[in-house]
Amino acid sequence: MDQSHIRNLCIIAHIDHGKSTLTDRLLEQTGTLAKRDMVEQVMDQMDLEREKGITIKAKAVRMSYRARDGIEYELNLIDTPGHVDFTYEVSRALAACEGAVLVVDATQGIEAQTLANLYLALEHNLTIVPVVNKIDLPSARPDEIAHEMENLLAVPNDQIIRASAKSGVGTADILEAIVARIPPPRADSTLPLRALIFDSKYDSYKGVVAYVRVVDGELPKNKKIKLMSSGLEIDALEVGAFRPKMVAGETLIAGEVGYVATGLKNVRDIQVGDTITHSENPATEPVPGFRPAKPMVFAGFYPTETNDYPLLRDALDKLKLNDASLTYDPETSAALGFGFRCGFLGLLHLEIVQERLEREYDLDLIATAPSVEYHVLKHTGEIITVDNPAEMPDGSEILEIEEPWMHIQVFTPKDYIGAAMDLVTTRRGTFDKMEYLDETRVMLGYVMPLSELIIDFYDQLKSRTRGYASLDYSFANYRASELVKLNVLVNEESVDALSMIVHKDYAYARGAALCKKLKEVIPQQQFPVPIQAAMGGRIVARETIRALRKDILAKCYGGDVTRKRKLLEKQKAGKKRMKRFGSVDIPQEAFMAILKLDENR
Amino acid sequence: MRAVEQIRAFGYNRCVNSEIALFVFIPFCKIKCTYCDFNAYANLARVMEPYADAVAQEISDCRLQIADLTAKSLYFGGGTPSLVPVAQIEKILRACESRFAFAPGIEITLEANPATADETKLRAYRALGINRLSIGVQSFDDATLRRLNRGHTVADAIEMFELARRAGFDNINLDFIFGLPLQTLADWRATLRRAIALAPEHLSLYALKVEEHTGLEHQIARGKYPKPDDDLAADMYELAEEMLDTAGYAQYEISNWTRSVGVGNWKLDVGRQSNIQLPTSNFQSRHNLTYWHNEPYLGFGAGAHSFFERARFWNVLSPVEYIEKITRGESAMADREEINRELEIAETMFLGLRLNEGIAFENFAQRFGEDARVRYAKEIEELKEMGLIEMSDARVWLTPRGRLLSNEVFWRFLP
Repeated sequence: MDQSHIRNLCIIAHIDHGKSTLTDRLLEQTGTLAKRDMVEQVMDQMDLEREKGITIKAKAVRMSYRARDGIEYELNLIDTPGHVDFTYEVSRALAACEGAVLVVDATQGIEAQTLANLYLALEHNLTIVPVVNKIDLPSARPDEIAHEMENLLAVPNDQIIRASAKSGVGTADILEAIVARIPPPRADSTLPLRALIFDSKYDSYKGVVAYVRVVDGELPKNKKIKLMSSGLEIDALEVGAFRPKMVAGETLIAGEVGYVATGLKNVRDIQVGDTITHSENPATEPVPGFRPAKPMVFAGFYPTETNDYPLLRDALDKLKLNDASLTYDPETSAALGFGFRCGFLGLLHLEIVQERLEREYDLDLIATAPSVEYHVLKHTGEIITVDNPAEMPDGSEILEIEEPWMHIQVFTPKDYIGAAMDLVTTRRGTFDKMEYLDETRVMLGYVMPLSELIIDFYDQLKSRTRGYASLDYSFANYRASELVKLNVLVNEESVDALSMIVHKDYAYARGAALCKKLKEVIPQQQFPVPIQAAMGGRIVARETIRALRKDILAKCYGGDVTRKRKLLEKQKAGKKRMKRFGSVDIPQEAFMAILKLDENR
Repeated sequence: MRAVEQIRAFGYNRCVNSEIALFVFIPFCKIKCTYCDFNAYANLARVMEPYADAVAQEISDCRLQIADLTAKSLYFGGGTPSLVPVAQIEKILRACESRFAFAPGIEITLEANPATADETKLRAYRALGINRLSIGVQSFDDATLRRLNRGHTVADAIEMFELARRAGFDNINLDFIFGLPLQTLADWRATLRRAIALAPEHLSLYALKVEEHTGLEHQIARGKYPKPDDDLAADMYELAEEMLDTAGYAQYEISNWTRSVGVGNWKLDVGRQSNIQLPTSNFQSRHNLTYWHNEPYLGFGAGAHSFFERARFWNVLSPVEYIEKITRGESAMADREEINRELEIAETMFLGLRLNEGIAFENFAQRFGEDARVRYAKEIEELKEMGLIEMSDARVWLTPRGRLLSNEVFWRFLP
């Protein structure tokens, strides 16, 4: 393949704006997949991806397209995750491309994540092919949205393609625009090999498979290669392309996208963003932008059944094979026993891992409320990091606590500026800037602590803006805050897994809201159960769960003992899903209660 | 029969595979009550006769190896059995009689709802040999009855009770429900007073449970009525225990009381003495005791349940489908569950503990060849600690608190 006939691209779109459907159409039109082999969302192979309509793992596919000029082009489409949790992964995928198809829903307009990813694309000097999708929907406003795109993205209106990925309208135009507008890769085949890793996966036959874009040089099979960050040397056991299944070839030339199989057992050895070169005649400089995966959000995962601990460990080991950004370390909780403190890129990542553990490994889990990583400076001068509120040292030992702050961007119709502003200020956020996107929509910029962002912020934002607002965020810096630890006592005993770190000014309100919520989710016991929130030795809030006085089955009619027994079995199973703490049964959801606090200010 | 012999007669090992209880389900109702999730229909009157034919046929065709079995009880439950013409009841009863030997003094119960039977009908029941009437009164408050869509008044209920007495029924049960929508403790006290004043032989008091897909569930979801208050229901239950005790009614099961005739304020107190004395004139429901003793029974009719030779099995729910199947000569069985030893032990425990007399260790040992105290040492200890059960050398039984929290006790005995 002539390098000038290669086009490397990705698709940028907000969730539900039609990325997967457009991908499906492109695969179909280029004959990469026959219509009969098409299932919806071909690229999203995980059940979770299909269910949630999102892309979790980056993927790549090579298509052959004979354009109107009669030339056959090689199109490498890299499918990127759309969620902000995976911004770094997205940036690496973008670095592997020369162009991006920007898809905007004709009924919804530009959203926060679209714009965030678009900015990322522009940073990487990608050529944008703008598309207004879903033009055939009754509520579509293609001209208005095109106008919005023109204003915001500075793309000439006449270049914006009107399409309906669902019906296939505009697909041909998009393919032609990709070939005509996106430049071929500028890669020098004479230089030493540099291949950028933009994702990896574990394959039980081939070992770890790296998804790569050859930036310079050539990557043939069976040659010794080296990972530039670690110096690890391995054999390129197999190289090839995704069509969309892996098809082995002889070599990957400069500018091409494909895969290299390494036979490695641990996905951690192949880190996203790292550069592959040859052991002999290596490149001097790696592709810039590499950053080891760093978890931002932490939570304790505990098996409900103590005996399942080894199962949980094995399951985490297996998930980790394909998820380099997941971290986990054993931890012990007085309340929950043995478990793991797991680190995630963000809340969605946490949720995905938890769901996969429960579904794919059939584990019953208790997850503690998510926390961030605090930097704690002690009077002794020692600095420690704390990612588990239970392990926060006593206030008397602490000189200062720093916590991560984030830049956040909220896109919202201007009618909801007040609502969004209100929410942000109750979460310690401070206003940064406001820009009008058009006459009706604005972008609000704030800085706010990550710890506030992960406590139900997005759901609250959605509900206060009737679902119209969208959100994007990125790490800003660590800042000192006046933080205190809130302990929760159930039946006079402290439950470590329920403790949380809050700003001193919020301790009373959060404590009260948490006690109230726990009162709702902890079932009545046979005795009254006090629930208290304490700061240091001082009780700041209290609720009491009334004693359970009645638990009788209705009439056992006409000898239907089976039904009666089934009801009792259900009750027994319910008890088993709870953790017994002292003499109180605490259900799973209690540990996540912090996430759903209804603070009536 | 002496008291001790009588207890033996209802003991665990004697009845197994020798005496049996028979149940007949009648799925017809005049109207559907808002709380009801039973297999009962208000618009199926047209199939009453074919239904009775089908039940009679199911009984005659019963192919179980039970040639030498005698029936100790027969129970017409519903639905509203009293809604069905006497001739149909007679047809079914005759079928039972010719298929099974009736034990001397067999208890034959029929459930009746107020305003569905006149004196003639009640006399006819009596003439058929029906000797126990169970009247669904539910409440002695007209407003409450209207809210429940019961289709009768307090006066109708009292009239039926008096007609039944006049027709010669000397063993009458009244059914009540407590914890009903908008019902206050005072309402309930008034209902209990009127019930006691009638001096029925037997009282059944059930706590309301809001079942799924019922009219009541919908009304509560819509906010027409408040959600049931468990604390109030517990107060009502305790009030009933107290008032009935004072009035000379002895509780023998979580929801059931009998008038203790001839023994004054005789109290069932099995805890302190292992040599139990029961009232000689016993109005306890022999049919229902079969369930609580986990002894065999056969059920006939749509959705009816049976427990026989280590299996539970039940018929299809739909009356129409039931009739069709029986008419075609097919079995009406919908499903079947084998009861292994572990399940049988668990069921024996949680059914037996419903009774105030509880579980007799000797009976348990005779039936299962092991000591319940050993098998359930941990559970018994824990429940004693919680104050939900008490134990003597001979028995284990629920405390008053344990009766209100019985599920907390029962699930612990499941395998």
